[in-house]
Amino acid sequence: MIKIEQEAWDLMVAHAQKTYPNECCGAMLGPIDGDVKTVRVALPLENAYPGAQRERYELRPEDLLFAEREARKNGMDLIGIFHSHPDCDAYFSKTDLENSCPWYSFVVLSIQKGQFQHANSWLPNMEQTEAAKEELEHPHA
Amino acid sequence: MPKILIPTPLRQFAGKKDAVEVGGATVGEALAALTTEHPDMKKNLFTDEGKLRSFVNVYVNDEDIRFLEKDKTAVAAGDTISIVPSIAGGK
Repeated sequence: MIKIEQEAWDLMVAHAQKTYPNECCGAMLGPIDGDVKTVRVALPLENAYPGAQRERYELRPEDLLFAEREARKNGMDLIGIFHSHPDCDAYFSKTDLENSCPWYSFVVLSIQKGQFQHANSWLPNMEQTEAAKEELEHPHA
Repeated sequence: MPKILIPTPLRQFAGKKDAVEVGGATVGEALAALTTEHPDMKKNLFTDEGKLRSFVNVYVNDEDIRFLEKDKTAVAAGDTISIVPSIAGGK
């Protein structure tokens, strides 16, 4: 399961609401203890998708390298990635799946009319053909 | 020997190490040495055809090997190889 602590959560929601109506993205860092991942730090990152960001996001590899280094520097792990779905639900779309990485948790925040609605976490498989829903605990749950 | 930094989710396939020093004069040779030493890493990094998976980027120090010599990029002692995911999406 994945638990998101208050400070990290507030930053994720603020980033998603600030970038509305575009999609936001970022990295989630924290410790992993057995099956429990605890997100302590959220790192908002720039959506680098060159086209319509209302419908797409793209992370620069160098930003993910930075996130990985930040995690190591602070004795934490890169747990996963978060992004927003403006004016639609927090499902894991075909585009999300086909551009995912199976090593990480993917938290999707549904932002409707500029306000947070709900969130889900997803675990894509190696073939990028399906994603399982992961138990998610966050302060708004 | 160059050092390969192992992302957290892959450490279970690399003897729980966060970094592995390997032999090899190129990135391709270093990754081959890694997957020979830790065979379970292979399916995470490479397709059945032996190509790097689409979600895997490789950096030598601060440089993406796609903009260098790809798997023929030279590495030496003191170089750090990072395995970085490629991630995008959309609703």
